Amino acid sequence: MNEPAGDVAVALKELRFAWDPGHPLLHVENLGIGAGEQVFLGGASGSGKSTLLALIGGVLQADSGSIRILGQDLAAMRQAARDRFRAEHVGFIFQQFNLLPYLSVLENVSLACRFSGRRAQRAATSGSVTDAARHLLDTLGVRGKLLTRPVNALSIGQQQRVAAARALIGHPELLVADEPTSALDHDVRGDFLDLLQGECRRAGTTLLFVSHDRSLADNFDRQLDMRTLNEVAVEHV
Amino acid sequence: MSDQGTILRLAAKSLLNRRGTAALTLFSIAVSVSLLLGVEHIRKEARNSFASTISDTDLIVGARSGPLQLLLYSVFRMGSPTNNLSWESYQKIAASPLVKWTVPISLGDSHRGYRVLGTTPAYFEHYRYGSGRSLALASGTAFGGEVQQAVIGSEVAAALGYPVGTPIEISHGIGATSFHTHDEYPFTVVGILHPTGTPVDQTVHVPLAASDLIHQQPGTPPDSHAHQGEAHSRADGGHDNHDQTNNDHEGHDHADHGDETHEHDDHGGETHEHDGHDAAEQLGDPESITAFLVGLTNRVDTLKVQRAINQLPGEALLAIIPGQTLQELWGLVGMVELALLTISGFVIVAGLLGLLASILTSLNERRREMAILRSVGARPSHIFFLMLSEAGLIAGAGAMLGVALQAALVGIAGGFMETRLGLVLQWHWPGPFELMVVLAVVLAATLLALWPAWRAYRNTLADGLTLRV
Repeated sequence: MNEPAGDVAVALKELRFAWDPGHPLLHVENLGIGAGEQVFLGGASGSGKSTLLALIGGVLQADSGSIRILGQDLAAMRQAARDRFRAEHVGFIFQQFNLLPYLSVLENVSLACRFSGRRAQRAATSGSVTDAARHLLDTLGVRGKLLTRPVNALSIGQQQRVAAARALIGHPELLVADEPTSALDHDVRGDFLDLLQGECRRAGTTLLFVSHDRSLADNFDRQLDMRTLNEVAVEHV
Repeated sequence: MSDQGTILRLAAKSLLNRRGTAALTLFSIAVSVSLLLGVEHIRKEARNSFASTISDTDLIVGARSGPLQLLLYSVFRMGSPTNNLSWESYQKIAASPLVKWTVPISLGDSHRGYRVLGTTPAYFEHYRYGSGRSLALASGTAFGGEVQQAVIGSEVAAALGYPVGTPIEISHGIGATSFHTHDEYPFTVVGILHPTGTPVDQTVHVPLAASDLIHQQPGTPPDSHAHQGEAHSRADGGHDNHDQTNNDHEGHDHADHGDETHEHDDHGGETHEHDGHDAAEQLGDPESITAFLVGLTNRVDTLKVQRAINQLPGEALLAIIPGQTLQELWGLVGMVELALLTISGFVIVAGLLGLLASILTSLNERRREMAILRSVGARPSHIFFLMLSEAGLIAGAGAMLGVALQAALVGIAGGFMETRLGLVLQWHWPGPFELMVVLAVVLAATLLALWPAWRAYRNTLADGLTLRV
């Protein structure tokens, strides 16, 4: 039941990865996510989630199999090309501490455009990158005095919104969110998820949302679980 | 290129964020660099000032001792002469047709810690420093015939606040506190020299005969000596009680006499000539002198004359060529200079190792920062470059601060060095040497940072997008 409908954003086949050849960490037979789809991926820590995301992000290189993102095979690319591909097409949000403490809120958001000319270009279609960052932050509810505060002085919820803005700026096709709500209070969590999903939908961005919190799963188009996805985990559990 | 601009900006901001430790590291590099530059500056200036203290003098002749010793006490007023040479030998050499001029000098007295140099008017005529510059009076006159006249160096005048006409007392021996000794002789300042940046500035010049008197027979007034002649001065060696009590009385007389002379001088022409005549009569010839400077008719003869003086029968003399002996001094001092430069070089190395240590310790706590950068598309090579940039930025800023620090210190402490050590530290804009040091420090820091940069590179590859807390 892992087949997407329409255009394919992510397609994994017979993907295998191990730090140590004797101890396979990840084996995904087949995974497909359609363009614009919002997918919930559940799983406890140690289930291979982080490894899977690093492979999709092109930070790790698969031992075998194929990782096609937006039709391009990351497994066939060199490291530098994968890094460039990630910079241009994939946005990331992590659990917390997403921001560089020595940059301002706006600089943190614009940072994603620093390493990608394409995203900078797409962000700046109407005005500058900073304008785009300000607009995006405004949509996510970060505005006014918050913009001039040191990022460490923001609440975790506000920090996560800034991180979301950074992941969204320049319209990357794929957004990978790794436990982005785990550090948030329960009432903030829903708001954040609404904003994130709303922005993704508006931009047509595919969202891969990873969380161990199954209560959020119902908000998504499709629900996956690492326990069924990762053959290694199945074998070992 | 824009990527590297981004990385440089990130490095700078990251450093600013850790400005506490970064500033300490930067400052330790600044201090080490200013130490090296300071040592080199002092080395250069010391050489310059030594080399420019005497010029156009072909030979310096003294009683036989070490060449360095002779050079140091005759020109640099360092150390004390061991022996004098006889007036006869001096005259014999001065009379040689190969010799164009001579300047006898006599040392061993002091005024408030400043050395007193007994010499003749020829000193002001022939002594040269720097690139052949001669001494010039800032005010007053050189001493004429009168015995108890003094021409003081600019620094003596400035430090003690003596205008022309000040009565001063000169005491036998070298030392700052001969205040209460009984053998003090009254003199009058008649001239003040322009600053030269040489030991001349710290010297009190008096007529040779006066100096000779103070040496030979403390307690006997100069005029009585002149009348009684050399035989007396030889015989009168000690100071018994009688002499001492006498001295107080006679010292007072002298002061009066000095004032009178001054007034006489003011009367002008005739009186002055009369005084000169009088004095010449009074002075007579000294029995011995400390050393003398020699200018030759023809420089080609230098070695010949030097050999002749060194082999002069009757008295063991030593003639040195100032430039040659200075070279000897450099040979000797060179080791110390090298040692100092090596030490300050190692201090810079220590500063750089401190930088390396601070970068290495920061690596772990910055893995998160690296992962964030990776997630927004930074390549491991960017991380590598980021670490190198940080090291280069700190080292560059530190080295430049060091240059500024050293320049500021020269500006502030230069005057102190000049008055206390007689070492003139010329302030100058940073030049090629400073630029070279800055570049070398940046290069060395960047090379050292290859290690933490490589580790950061490895870390980012291993961590991927994992945010470690």
